[in-house]
Amino acid sequence: MSGATPLAGHFAPGTLPFRDGHVGVVELGEGPAVGYLHGMLGNPGVHGVLEELAAAGHRVVAPSLPGFTGSSEPDGLRNLHDWVVATSEIVDVAGLAGAPLVASSVGAMLALEVAAVRPEAFGPLVLISPFGLWDDDDPVADPFGTTLSVQRAMLTDDTEASAAFFDDPADLPADMVVEHGVHRYLTRTAAAQLIWPLPEWGLAERLHRVTNPVTLVHGAKDRIIPVSYLQRWADALPNVVGTHVLDDAGHQGDFDQPAQVARIAAAAFA
Amino acid sequence: MKSIFFHLMPYPELPPDFPEQHRSVWVDIDPKLYDPTVGHQTYNAYLDQLEFAAQCGFDAVGINEHHSNGYGLMPSPNIIAAALSRNCPDTNIVVLGDSVALYNPPLRVAEEIAMLDGITGGRMIAGFPVGSPMDTIYAYGQNPATLRERYHEGVDLIRQAWTSDEVFSFNGNYNKLRYVNVWPRPVQQPHPPIWIPGGGSVDTWDWCAAEDLVYCYLSYFGYKAGLRTMQGFWKKVQELGKETNPFQGGFAQFIAVADTEAEAWDLYREPAEYFFNTCLHVYAGYADPPGYKTPNTVRAGVEGMVERAAREATARREANAADAAKAGAAKPSYGSKKLSFEDMVEKGYIILGNPTQVTEQVHELATTMNVGHLMVFSHFGNMDPELVKMNTEMYATQVMPEVAGLFEDEYEDHWWPKGDQQLAAVGSRAQ
Repeated sequence: MSGATPLAGHFAPGTLPFRDGHVGVVELGEGPAVGYLHGMLGNPGVHGVLEELAAAGHRVVAPSLPGFTGSSEPDGLRNLHDWVVATSEIVDVAGLAGAPLVASSVGAMLALEVAAVRPEAFGPLVLISPFGLWDDDDPVADPFGTTLSVQRAMLTDDTEASAAFFDDPADLPADMVVEHGVHRYLTRTAAAQLIWPLPEWGLAERLHRVTNPVTLVHGAKDRIIPVSYLQRWADALPNVVGTHVLDDAGHQGDFDQPAQVARIAAAAFA
Repeated sequence: MKSIFFHLMPYPELPPDFPEQHRSVWVDIDPKLYDPTVGHQTYNAYLDQLEFAAQCGFDAVGINEHHSNGYGLMPSPNIIAAALSRNCPDTNIVVLGDSVALYNPPLRVAEEIAMLDGITGGRMIAGFPVGSPMDTIYAYGQNPATLRERYHEGVDLIRQAWTSDEVFSFNGNYNKLRYVNVWPRPVQQPHPPIWIPGGGSVDTWDWCAAEDLVYCYLSYFGYKAGLRTMQGFWKKVQELGKETNPFQGGFAQFIAVADTEAEAWDLYREPAEYFFNTCLHVYAGYADPPGYKTPNTVRAGVEGMVERAAREATARREANAADAAKAGAAKPSYGSKKLSFEDMVEKGYIILGNPTQVTEQVHELATTMNVGHLMVFSHFGNMDPELVKMNTEMYATQVMPEVAGLFEDEYEDHWWPKGDQQLAAVGSRAQ
């Protein structure tokens, strides 16, 4: 783990070298490695999912994807292929090859894309509201054709759960306020790049390659990907070992219900 | 100073309760509101107005590109330019412009402008906007994270296509072309003047300054509000040690001329209110998609023009909703508090008055902003065709002559069509 950037403490405490820049990373706990790949909200740093999994005896490693909180601006990532290769590289840089993975939202979509070409990159997968499927009769909502306040309400059921992504931290030095806002903007940019204009890149045709055991988790109040998609994923993936609906959770169930997600993951990885 | 008669081509018959009943004039405007018969009449009336402006002696006529937009009926400005090209034989045509990133491949823009330059005998100005978020990101599904890179690559491709003497291959990140060979070639060599319409991106200032391109701020909020943006551009030019030639700048301004100020207040109120309160009823959620702005622009806190329009409309809407809530309304509408005509004039959104008053303000605009190309909105909103005619003619005959000499003795306009000279040089002008 290399040195932290001045703002990294507000996103992810450490960094890993990645190509000409770096990606943020959080590590917590001791024991067999478990990966956590964040969603649209970016890497939340030390938070409930990581703490619960660490308490359950895992060493949790949570890298940031390029452009998201804690990482340098992405360079040369122009299409999904670029992102899949980058994600695969980050799995290796973070020492997560073959490890179980919890992945959320856009991170879950990328994990499936990587698994489709490299199933051995991961062990069992716990996926929270993945992007990647599309049904004309039940479309995924657009989280970016909205105001920020509406977007915030779409991402988590409890809007306070996403405070780090939308608000200036109370302890932020005045001279970092602007840069913090820029990082949040870049995080939204990276998320938008992955799901714009529609979050469907043909993944359904590649899912037969994902032989990893998959546990699916979906927020009952997901205002972006309807909870009905849980069944679509269950039908499309070849090796689903469990499905869970979180009652009081929105799109990012890992932010709304971190303890529940961690318990589901710990059970899946036991 | 050059005066360009600029038309937005708004749909003129949006219902009076549009702001209350509809979320946005742009992107998701209700298709059922469009009456093709009105559209037919409107296109022809607007073409008449552009041709009339040319007859009145405007230095150029100008048009632009919008999509899914109730105040801009020109998804393809080049079609309008083609319609004008034969009926405006002595006027230049400013296409401001073609949203390069939306053409696949952008070579199409190089070809069409070259065609138009051929038809007009070298009277074209080619504008290359990034395009608004509503047009590019929402209506045309471009990815905001890659839009600007795609745009710059497209502009590079067009410039190379116009200037290369050889057939070449173009290996871009977004455009892979084995054979690039624009036939026909533009009359103007090496290529028509390139103008860049900008909305406040600091990186666009840098680029235009470095590449000696015209920076045009197509604001709807007038010269008082636009001053900071133009100063930002000129500061970049100065930092590079270059001449702040006013002809490297352009600005758009609503103008309302009448015989007397009192008459102007009376005549232009309705079309102004239609434009600012109905046509600019833009949903704020479409104004700032992540990635559309560069990090430098985010850092600088610069706000784009349509972003401002949407933000102001939203602020008025929220104030309206708060008032409605206090009054016990069961269901708040989409509507905003109206921007008053008095405010529009006071804040400089509209330059209004008799010819002398308008001349003074245009002079002030040109000298304070240092712009040698003025895009004049003589038509706005749902203005009656006869009033458009009057406004156009009065500006052309009583204002334009008074400001036409501005900057002309001190500076050379390197960014103006020189087609006639080039055709004369080769002795080939068609009769």
